[in-house]
Amino acid sequence: MRHTNIVSIYFTLLIALLCQLFPWVGQGIILRPDFVLVAVLYWLLRAPNLCNVGTAWVAGLLVDLATGSLLGQHALSFTITAFIALSYQRRLVLFNTWQLAGYVIALLTIERVLMLLLKLFTGNENPGWHYLWPILTSLILWQMMIVIFGGLTRPKTKQ
Amino acid sequence: MLKGVHQKLEAQQTPAFFVRGANAFPRMVFFCALSIIFMAVDARLNYLSHIRQGFIAALHPLEIVANAPSEWYRDIKKYFSVHNELVQENYVLKQQAFEHKVMLQRLSTINAENAHLRSLLNGDLPIQPNAILGEISHMGRDPFTRTVVVNRGSQHNVKAGQAVVDSIGVIGQVTRVYPFTSEVTLITDKELSIPIQVERNQLRAIAFGEGNNTLDIPYLPTNVDIKVGDKLVTSGIDGIYPAGLAVATVSQILQNPESPFAKIVCTPVAEVTNHLQLLLLALPDAKATAPIEEKITKDAKAARDNLEPPTKAPTKPKANTNAPH
Repeated sequence: MRHTNIVSIYFTLLIALLCQLFPWVGQGIILRPDFVLVAVLYWLLRAPNLCNVGTAWVAGLLVDLATGSLLGQHALSFTITAFIALSYQRRLVLFNTWQLAGYVIALLTIERVLMLLLKLFTGNENPGWHYLWPILTSLILWQMMIVIFGGLTRPKTKQ
Repeated sequence: MLKGVHQKLEAQQTPAFFVRGANAFPRMVFFCALSIIFMAVDARLNYLSHIRQGFIAALHPLEIVANAPSEWYRDIKKYFSVHNELVQENYVLKQQAFEHKVMLQRLSTINAENAHLRSLLNGDLPIQPNAILGEISHMGRDPFTRTVVVNRGSQHNVKAGQAVVDSIGVIGQVTRVYPFTSEVTLITDKELSIPIQVERNQLRAIAFGEGNNTLDIPYLPTNVDIKVGDKLVTSGIDGIYPAGLAVATVSQILQNPESPFAKIVCTPVAEVTNHLQLLLLALPDAKATAPIEEKITKDAKAARDNLEPPTKAPTKPKANTNAPH
């Protein structure tokens, strides 16, 4: 666990929201990664003392307000995903890059499926398989976050 | 003494490995309940629209920043547009202007004639709708719904429910109004329906959005008189869309032997993806239209009373040519 600054957390969340607000058109909106979710998950797994389920809820609510979807949809799915992410958080130290990527894919899939269920409950059509594409782009974004901000654990010292 | 120990314990740093927020489960339950309440309130009651409007207004600067790169790209593209293209466009526009002028000449005479005929019939002149010119700032952010965001909002007197058209046909309806922007739901959205009329035979029906780029006219029998290529225009009976605006063309008629209804697929004529400018038509004034309707029905009654022969001749009930909907 490395030292993290709370300002950097909110700054990355703001940037993520900005990216979400970017005018995505056509194919872009199908491939658009869940910027805010990836940012929330990253800080959640890296600094659970500063960023917790409540942060995820607030971030989800902001996404709802910004995208104009039903208020609380993203908040609910982010909250549940954040809880599942946190429940295994302490074991992540043992994971290598691939295992961590698998864990993140699982979390992203859970969020997508939850969102799909909520959308279907509120009367939307089944969007088809391309609905799952953002999982892959989000994973790429996750790896970029790791490259930019560093891994979840302290870099290994050479023995 | 005891207090001192307590303070000492609190001051002690927990090992970094065990750093963890408060127990996550109660928080999760609490926030889930809160979001479900929010969803229920947002879906059933309209308390949260003001909060949403305020937030979107606060978010406007952020939105401008997010939209800036695409606008720069557009501007740069405009700046470097080739001379040849401009000349060609100019030529096409001149030709169009000429054609429109010729049509306008006819329009003025037809208008005069129409006014004259209406005055003969004691009818009221239709009110010319006011319109606000807007520009699409971006497509909607939710991939599930088909919306566009227009750069005109409540500050420019836009109201929810206004019809939105472009130079070719109907685009949709304003569904949410924010201070500086408003959200237009396209007619292809699943939630939107539009009363239409087949131009060829005046058949009235309601077209529903399909959620993918088409419209559907449900509940019409398989032998209905609609052909591929028929033009659909607004019928104007809803009081929101003025009558006679182009909506869509019939592109496909599917006959399902298991269903008593024909599946009629239509493609909208308006080109949302190609044009940026659109017109937000003002809502018809409820106070202004209601008495007119009343008057018309009164006039019609009076006319019928006058026309009715004094002898009690068996009058045929007027055949209803319009399909039920």
